[in-house]
Amino acid sequence: MKTKMKTGPFIIIMVIAIIIAIYTLMPFILVVVNVFKSAKGEFGIANDPVGLKGASFAQLGDNLSRVINNSNFSFWSAFGTSALITIICLVLLAVFGGMAAWVICRNKTKWSTAIYMVFIASMIIPFQVVMLPLISTFRDVGNFVGLKLLQSIPGIVFAYLGFGGAMTVFILTGMVKTVPYDLEEAASIDGCSYEGIYFRIIFPLLKPSIVTVTILNGMWIWNDYLLPSLMLGQNGKVKTLPVAVQAFVGSYVKQWDLILTAALLAMIPMIIIFLIAQKQIMSGMVEGAVK
Amino acid sequence: MSEVIIKGLKKVYDNKVTAVHDVNLHIADKEFIVLVGPSGCGKSTTLRMVAGLEDISGGELYIDGKLCNNVAPKDRDIAMVFQSYALYPHMSVYENLAFALKLRKVPKDEIDKKVREVAEILGITQYLERKPKALSGGQRQRVAIGRAMVRDPKVFLMDEPLSNLDAKLRNQMRAEIIKLRARINTTFMYVTHDQTEAMTLADRIVIMKDGYVNQIGTPQDLFNKPVNLFVAGFIGMPVMNFFDGCKLLLEDGKYYAEIRGVKFELDEFQQKALKQNGQQPCNIIAGIRPQHVTVGEGQLSATIEVSEMMGSEYNIHARSGDDEVVMVIPTVDLHTDVSMGKTVQFNTKPALIQLFDKESGNNLIWYDKESADADAPVCKVYQF
Repeated sequence: MKTKMKTGPFIIIMVIAIIIAIYTLMPFILVVVNVFKSAKGEFGIANDPVGLKGASFAQLGDNLSRVINNSNFSFWSAFGTSALITIICLVLLAVFGGMAAWVICRNKTKWSTAIYMVFIASMIIPFQVVMLPLISTFRDVGNFVGLKLLQSIPGIVFAYLGFGGAMTVFILTGMVKTVPYDLEEAASIDGCSYEGIYFRIIFPLLKPSIVTVTILNGMWIWNDYLLPSLMLGQNGKVKTLPVAVQAFVGSYVKQWDLILTAALLAMIPMIIIFLIAQKQIMSGMVEGAVK
Repeated sequence: MSEVIIKGLKKVYDNKVTAVHDVNLHIADKEFIVLVGPSGCGKSTTLRMVAGLEDISGGELYIDGKLCNNVAPKDRDIAMVFQSYALYPHMSVYENLAFALKLRKVPKDEIDKKVREVAEILGITQYLERKPKALSGGQRQRVAIGRAMVRDPKVFLMDEPLSNLDAKLRNQMRAEIIKLRARINTTFMYVTHDQTEAMTLADRIVIMKDGYVNQIGTPQDLFNKPVNLFVAGFIGMPVMNFFDGCKLLLEDGKYYAEIRGVKFELDEFQQKALKQNGQQPCNIIAGIRPQHVTVGEGQLSATIEVSEMMGSEYNIHARSGDDEVVMVIPTVDLHTDVSMGKTVQFNTKPALIQLFDKESGNNLIWYDKESADADAPVCKVYQF
């Protein structure tokens, strides 16, 4: 039976929700407002970061042009690097995360349970705890195997697979449990190999959860600053968008108009994807919660 | 030729539980064999070993003359219909039917022809573009059967395919399977716990209990010549009446069954069979099918507890001493008052009495030690 909330509590909850929403959106609003303004002047960002006076589309065009054409920032290069890293990581996380979830779920041994527990445990370790040992480990392992793991795209992709794997496996394991085992048996009788069962039957059936983890991982990897700044470095050749924004931050001068414009440019793809896929994210989150 | 030969098939799970003990079975080409038994008797496990979905712990499995113990399911040339249908939910009905053929790299036009042909036979042509979730239970079942049919397999395996359907649809689909069998004419191995399905579909029935085969035979054999108490009690509806504390007597060279103090002189065939077996007088459990009881005359009496009018017949539940007696009496043959609380006389033909050894539970006439020792128990054959 559907229960209807009383008007009084409903209004209170709505007011609280609106306040939290505005509070959460404030940084984004500040970015959007200030990309229309110049850094200096009476109504510039430095003097009036909140007001709308001094905002104009002409100033936005000027800011965009200066950001995109800035040789230190090299927007298209950073955009390409971010996109490349994000896409490779998402594809690999989806494919291998699904495989890991499938095997863990279907092979119920003490080993598979232990591996699953390791995945879960790794989710609760803060990144800041492991970031410095990680860099030295990557440097040492890279030197040992003769691969460049720092300041390289393969290196950071490898790191993201490790950090993103836990949540991916956690969410996908829940979904695999809902796939009837009979389907796999039917497929094996129909002529599927082990790999065929995964790619033709399991992977398509995991689609709702895969979309969810892909979007969650995508937002994280695309926006991530700390890991790329450590692994790729501030002055390396390979830079992701969040790291490249540093080009506008000097020791003594901070070009807020350009920083915020670059930040907005970096945000736009993810905002678009999130708006399109938010329904899918929510359905994937609660998948399997009820029969 | 697509015969299936099972020799000493055994399944032992990791926890040392033996689910199937030494099953021996020879399924002839184009034979419809039904494995039947209560839950946990090992019938599905046996089928799954034939399908390749369970490892075989011991024994040998031959399909079409080829040893298949370690052959992958996809290479056994079998098709299986699952209880849950196991239709691929992300594929349309057409794609479900075509899936196995695509994997075998059959040309597209041939796949299309085959899929449409099978869909036509099963009456699902109009649903080809639908996803399984948009189909009813009966339609899904047809698609599942179609998916197996489309491959022209050597052996058709069915694991309780009708048990998810309601009673009416189950009857319909059972008739469909009989028609289908006549049409596709291949070897069938069918698992069910429903004896009606077993009796109506099978050429031969394999009845299992606790991982052992109890009897292999035609439906008529199982009904008329049960080799032990379990088979006698499992096959037949309502269940056979068993009278404990009875005796097999031998007087003046003639055998008698004594039930509740009443002596029945056994018929000629029974006399010969018991003589041939060198049967000595002993304590027995007598079995009489509810359909073989007549009411209104005879020396046995029972008090009616429940009388169910079923339309064409009465099902009467009565008490005779310590035993409950069920009688199925056709309405047209009933000339006695069978209301609750009445005491009625009842009788049966001696030829229809089954005689079970009190100790072993084996049928004194139909139990065949030789076949039972070979783990392929059938009813004994007499040639007088």
